[in-house]
Amino acid sequence: MSEVAAKDNSVRKYDPEFTKRVYQMENGKWVKMCMQCGICPTTCALKEKMDLSPRRIIQLIRAGAKDEVLKANTMWLCTSCYTCACRCPRGVPMMDVMHDLRHLAVENGIKHNSQAMAEVYAKDVFKRGRIWEGGLTLNYGLKIGLGNFVKMALDMQDVGKGMMLHRRLPLLPPKGVKNPGKLREVLNRAAEIAKEGGH
Amino acid sequence: MKITLYPGCASEGTAISYTQSALEVAKKLGLEVKEIEDWNCCGSTVTSSVIGQFAADVLAARNLALAEKMGEQDVVATCSSCYAVLGNVNKKFADDKFKANANDALSKDNLSYSGKLKVRMLLDVMYSDVGLETIKSKVVKPLTGLKVAGYVGCQTVRALREFDNCENPTFLDGIISALGAEPVQFSHKLKCCTGAMALSSPEITISTVYPIIKSAHEAGADVIVTPCPLCQMNLDAYQVKVNKNFNTQYKMPVLFFTQLMALAYGLDRKAAGLDYCIVSPNEALKNWM
Ligand code: SF4
Ligand code: SF4
Repeated sequence: MSEVAAKDNSVRKYDPEFTKRVYQMENGKWVKMCMQCGICPTTCALKEKMDLSPRRIIQLIRAGAKDEVLKANTMWLCTSCYTCACRCPRGVPMMDVMHDLRHLAVENGIKHNSQAMAEVYAKDVFKRGRIWEGGLTLNYGLKIGLGNFVKMALDMQDVGKGMMLHRRLPLLPPKGVKNPGKLREVLNRAAEIAKEGGH
Repeated sequence: MKITLYPGCASEGTAISYTQSALEVAKKLGLEVKEIEDWNCCGSTVTSSVIGQFAADVLAARNLALAEKMGEQDVVATCSSCYAVLGNVNKKFADDKFKANANDALSKDNLSYSGKLKVRMLLDVMYSDVGLETIKSKVVKPLTGLKVAGYVGCQTVRALREFDNCENPTFLDGIISALGAEPVQFSHKLKCCTGAMALSSPEITISTVYPIIKSAHEAGADVIVTPCPLCQMNLDAYQVKVNKNFNTQYKMPVLFFTQLMALAYGLDRKAAGLDYCIVSPNEALKNWM
């Protein structure tokens, strides 16, 4: 889906609007803080599998290389492990920047299984205030399409069986918050505030 | 000591054995635990990619506002991801503009938060507040001869860096020793297990989990213990896939550290939640069950 490697550098389009847009996002200020020391890629849990290293992503945001950044698999592979954040001399919370980039990628029509998972998760939060781990798997399956889901289910049946046998996946949703409507009002108001630039 | 517990969504499903054993152990230690009333999901580290960072922060902050109503005691999380999210949002309340905006949104649910509470991780409370002496004093079945790999994982000591050492942590090993067991040293103690990626990119999780189990096994561990629900699940539930893909025969039980405490405190297997373990711990722990 998104494992499109951004390796074809022959035509690189620079888009200063893209840089501005990232700076305006909630964690954009951190992109400005990076001093390109290169410590983060040496510590990153999954850099071997990433198209672009975390440092390179920041460099390319500043260079306005929109397509290269948004098509990279990097932000989808960031596990929020905080290893780089812990060692960064500037205290850049890289995982938060990565989450902003996921948001932006989706805005630009690029998606990854990780985001499908995050969306199913967020939907549950909006609906009940708490997630239902059992239902999460199912809804994620519906989101990635029945064919993909069946493939995944077959491939992962040992894992699922272990979880079921040991009662680790609740079959019914546990109770949610008392008034999910109020919670939604809170979140909608927060979204409004963020839109007005207040965060 | 009084604590306000933030159980988190995993406490009702994948990590049910963590909360259960933690509550049983807390009773033995005389901790007064109250759950945050009407708590909501912390949003984990992924929700911000959907609803934006600020809305995700407010979602987490609602729990802190509810906790404040219950008194001034520390808010304690059992899950590393919850701890990371709640703790980081709590810090943001030091900023007046953030606080005003967050409280503006929270007012839609008649809530507000001052930013005065402390967010703690259970592992830290056990080590720093309860203390090793007290932990030791409750042991009735010392785990003598048991070799334990204390798998700390990534977020626990790295997300806030407010306890232990983020490059060379010792708290978990300290607790393992206090229970009479022997902590083994292994190279992958702090490596990320890929967390929630297990569902969306299982092949990455399987290849990441493999060297973690391998290094604990090679160090001679009988069991792995961890303070994090995602670590526990990935190592336990995906071990069968590791064995298939890498042609190994690992049978490494993976427990929460509170389950190990429960065992040393003479609690039965039900209280210790041992039946929730996918890789059977029966053989490794037979002397204490
Ligand atoms: S470690 Fe920090 S300052 Fe260095 S390149 Fe990475 S983000 Fe930039
Ligand atoms: S937080 Fe993300 S970018 Fe940083 S080391 Fe972990 S996986 Fe890599």
